[in-house]
Amino acid sequence: MTSAIVMHGLTKDYGADHGLFDLDLEVAEGEVFGFLGPNGAGKTTTIRLLMGVIHASAGSATIFGLDCDRDSVAVKREVGYLPGELAQFGGMRGSEVVTYLGGMRGGIDTARVKELSERLELDLGRRFREYSRGNKQKLGLVLAFMHRPRLLILDEPTGGLDPLNQQTFHQLVGEVKVSGTTVFLSSHVLSEVEETCSRVGIIRGGRLVSDMTMDKVHELRFHEVTVEFSGDVPAAAVRAAAGVEDVAVDGARLTCTVHGGFDGLLAALSGHTVVDMVSREPSLESLFLSYYKQ
Amino acid sequence: MSPRLLLRLHRIGLIAMAYFGIFYVLVNSAAFPLIAGKTRAAQEAFGHSVTVLGATFSWLLPLPIRPDTAAGYLQWRGYGFFAIIFAAWGVFSACGAVRRDEDRGLVESWLSTGVSRLRLLATRSMFFAVVSAGIVALTGGAGWLGCLIAGTPADVAGLVGESAALWALTLACFGLGLLVAQLVGEFRAAAAAGSALLVLMFLLDSIGRSSVHRGPLSGISVFFLFNQSNAVAPGGSFDPTATLLLFVVGAVATAAAGAAFVRRDLGSGLVRQPPRRATEVHDPSSNPLLRVPVARGLWIRRAGTLAWTVGMGVLAAAVVLLVNTTATFFATTPSLSPYLRGLAGDVHTVLLALIWLSFAQALVAILSITTVSRWSADDSSGVLEMQLAEPLPRWGVLVERATELTVTVTVMSFVAMAVILALAPAEGIGVDAGKLLIATALLIPFALTFAAVGALLAGWRPRVAVVVLSTVGVISYLVFELGPLFKWPKWADNLSVFQLYGTPLITPVFVGGLIAMLAIVVVGFGSAGVALARRDVAA
Repeated sequence: MTSAIVMHGLTKDYGADHGLFDLDLEVAEGEVFGFLGPNGAGKTTTIRLLMGVIHASAGSATIFGLDCDRDSVAVKREVGYLPGELAQFGGMRGSEVVTYLGGMRGGIDTARVKELSERLELDLGRRFREYSRGNKQKLGLVLAFMHRPRLLILDEPTGGLDPLNQQTFHQLVGEVKVSGTTVFLSSHVLSEVEETCSRVGIIRGGRLVSDMTMDKVHELRFHEVTVEFSGDVPAAAVRAAAGVEDVAVDGARLTCTVHGGFDGLLAALSGHTVVDMVSREPSLESLFLSYYKQ
Repeated sequence: MSPRLLLRLHRIGLIAMAYFGIFYVLVNSAAFPLIAGKTRAAQEAFGHSVTVLGATFSWLLPLPIRPDTAAGYLQWRGYGFFAIIFAAWGVFSACGAVRRDEDRGLVESWLSTGVSRLRLLATRSMFFAVVSAGIVALTGGAGWLGCLIAGTPADVAGLVGESAALWALTLACFGLGLLVAQLVGEFRAAAAAGSALLVLMFLLDSIGRSSVHRGPLSGISVFFLFNQSNAVAPGGSFDPTATLLLFVVGAVATAAAGAAFVRRDLGSGLVRQPPRRATEVHDPSSNPLLRVPVARGLWIRRAGTLAWTVGMGVLAAAVVLLVNTTATFFATTPSLSPYLRGLAGDVHTVLLALIWLSFAQALVAILSITTVSRWSADDSSGVLEMQLAEPLPRWGVLVERATELTVTVTVMSFVAMAVILALAPAEGIGVDAGKLLIATALLIPFALTFAAVGALLAGWRPRVAVVVLSTVGVISYLVFELGPLFKWPKWADNLSVFQLYGTPLITPVFVGGLIAMLAIVVVGFGSAGVALARRDVAA
């Protein structure tokens, strides 16, 4: 499989340890890649480097084999872009913004614009300044998707969208994925990434913390277990059990986390009277947070 | 709201007014002996001529008082004119403070911090009151210094009184601007309504001043109240009641604006249009102009281009119609001969060339500076980033910008040329159409010279581009205006871009100046291209 995006040692140093440092990452063609991280982690900096809006301090980035900096114009022919914050188009109507930017690209697929704006329930007849935050985001999505690009680079694409339109967005991503489009989207909402992506990269403090498939992410999952006993609490046996961590005892109640299978825990509990047992799967958000605690 | 943020929001108006107020006053007072002559007899003769001229211009400025003195001349030429400029500043600042900051979402952010609407409005008004007081005081100080340089010190109490009246007028107009901006939902509508109100009040005062019987309504004009004071001129007086009334107008208008602000919804005006029952649109605009490079920018800014074109055409007409009166004034005032720059030929044609082309140059320079301001704003508002997200090279954006400006300048300059060609024969002014065509065409490289310097600044440091370019423009204009008066050496004169343009309506084209302008255009835009390519956008 060929690579859509390749970053080697990509660095943008703003000083005082701010920026992006030594990012090595590849995104395969046709892949939907989620780029996760909290605010200020370096997601937008990475995206703006890919778009050639800012210049790297070191390293390189290519899109479909084209250098993002040197071949920036050719790169953009292949890319649909949603910035983190849409430009202020003032009194222009949505329809005019679409034609204005589409004209710069050399052509507009009117049917596609119509389809997108109808599915996102966006009235293009209104002036940009009258749009709510969500409607501005919808306009940004129309602009990114309207020319059926080979690669979509989307910076926090569901910000401001209501749940119904978020669902529409997920459907759109699913559809373009089927047609072979590569998607690189940044987010700090793991559920969104879980819904749409096949691989995620987690960035923190300008450095890539992890790069894994969603299957791997699911493997990393653990369960939070609470057990209540009617008699003695087998704390020592539970602590010694395989895959069990964070054991805490409060009276007749024991809490712990279980990684992998439950065999070790169940063996430790055998012979003791269990009156209640609850196992909770932590959200991806909790998993995400656990990365940042490291 | 920190004072620093407020200073940033008002910075363009503040810088422009500081430059304008200080330099205009300083030049018109300090250069008085050069204009009017150094002997008492010459100054009296000059004063007589100004009095005659002042009667002709009474629709625009109050009648001059003792224009044979530096202070009297300053009162007429400076403070008479300031009424219009400071009033406009007050109105437009207020409209911007209400509508522009609301469009940017700043007002919503401030209100969300727990600040009440009334307190927000009061803070903005207080801030404007403080900074406008500073500008008016600096202007008054410059006037005092200018009169001192002229050798006839102005009465300090008179200057303080006149400054107080000017400050009161500015605040009254700021209050009226605040009120007007509450009524409508857009900056452009607010600015148009505010301008209409100013023009109406100006006309009420102007008609009352120019006709035998003052109409009953002229008393309600803020210009009438301001013109009751003329304390800078020897023998003039300060009218505390009229000044107090101006403060009252400002306070009442601000209070009414506060009441309207409390009642209306954010993002809309107190007067709301009935909602339109329009069907939803899902198609892109079919306007073909939006797809064509250069045409798309011109279409988006069509209202502004039209306003500039109409304004320049009206100014051209006004200049032609006033040339004969001005020629009479020059004929009776030998000390004004330096203004004619030793140019031979019919005085009417020479005056048309000097007055019109200096106005045209000033307007074109201002257009270039405001255009550069927009280029800088495109960077911070994200528009440039969106343009560059399309397959457009950065140099392509620069070329499109320069071409757009070229077309705009061409349209407005040639419309003005057509106005002059249409009106001049009726006024008995001989104009060589060929030379006027060349003079008009030369305005294009002149505009691009400013734009090239601005493009370089905007490509390198967009945040300081406007301030630096404005400074270059003002200094350039001052060198151009003061050089002949103070008999500065030729090389110093040629430092001014205005000087490089030459006087092509009455003398051959200044080839050296044209080459210099073209060199600045090529080097400036070339360097701007390199700077824009190398720098990070919106970083």
